[in-house]
Amino acid sequence: MKNEKESPNVEAKKEPSNILVQIFIYSGILFLSNILSHFMPASFPVPVPVWGLIILYVLLTTNVIKLHQVEQTSKFLIGIMGFLFVPSGIQMYKSLDFLANDGVKLMIAIIISTIVLLIVIAFTARILIAIGKKIRKEDSNDGVSE
Amino acid sequence: MEYLNNMFFGIFLTVIVYLVGQYLFKKTNNFFLFQPLFVGMVLGIAVLVLIQQVTGATSDAVFSAYWNGGKENMIGANLLFWFLSPATIAFAVPLYKRNDIVKKYWVEILLSLIIGLFISLTIIYFVCIALGLPKNEIASLLPQSATTAIALPLSESIGGVPAITAMTVILNAVIVMALGDQIIKLFRLGSDPIGVGLGLGSSGHTMGSVKAVELGSIQGAMASIAVVIVGVATNLVVPIFANIVGLK
Repeated sequence: MKNEKESPNVEAKKEPSNILVQIFIYSGILFLSNILSHFMPASFPVPVPVWGLIILYVLLTTNVIKLHQVEQTSKFLIGIMGFLFVPSGIQMYKSLDFLANDGVKLMIAIIISTIVLLIVIAFTARILIAIGKKIRKEDSNDGVSE
Repeated sequence: MEYLNNMFFGIFLTVIVYLVGQYLFKKTNNFFLFQPLFVGMVLGIAVLVLIQQVTGATSDAVFSAYWNGGKENMIGANLLFWFLSPATIAFAVPLYKRNDIVKKYWVEILLSLIIGLFISLTIIYFVCIALGLPKNEIASLLPQSATTAIALPLSESIGGVPAITAMTVILNAVIVMALGDQIIKLFRLGSDPIGVGLGLGSSGHTMGSVKAVELGSIQGAMASIAVVIVGVATNLVVPIFANIVGLK
């Protein structure tokens, strides 16, 4: 498994679908996700993009949608995502007054809590996977590969 | 000021500040403080402040010119913001490509996220107490592992301030983009692709997933699944946690 570039369930490379087909799939999923999240109770919101991610994942896993029909657009969108997020960052402009008054402690708390989330979840996963491997009595070299 | 009420002002400004960020990042050999998203955000805010100073317009008017061309239901930078939705959906592809890992480790993944979330909440809570933050600000920070659409109503329901939560979720993403590599190196997390992926997705949301996809296919897939599961788990765990520590 170590030398394989992609996972086993990747089909033989096909030409990417027509861009309009790809847009059709993404917009169809967005439309469906909007309807679904409309029906979620207010106390348990599931946002449109999260529904969309689940739907596309299920459709790919069940082979309704093929990889070559969505992969090119996916790569493109993920590639420009840092750029797409800039307007959200610039939204902080509206919070400047608030930050200037009482922001230092809050900023410190936000930076620490971001780092805490990253590290704690990474370490928890490392420990649990090690435990899981022991339970399955696996060879520790088997399993995860790049 | 009126001449800035133009649907291309916001898009144009965003592209320019991001390109400057990319240029600086490249020139300084990927110096972390010049991460394009961070530079773009700081420069963009600086330009808006400058416009506000020069024209004497209100900050609401300046932001509205940037965001929606000064008119409600119009296009500006919010067009780019809208594209975050299909871009988030796109993470189903890296996730599907490592379905082998998901199938093999789904129990560990699920447990790590829920247990890790609970431990993180506890640490975050005590850090906030140590810093002397008021109750409503602590409540605003607890839902930060979820994406905005989940975190804001949750924050309100446990007595937080949604505006602070919104700011926190945005900063999570920027911090992970700028400092992610340093944190991974400092705590030697790099040897463990599943853990790194789950951590990046939980702390930085979809931006964390962008970082994870850069690191490798397993990391990318794990971050994508973390965004979904942590979002839903936050919905369930945070109200319980808020009850335990008596925030409400």
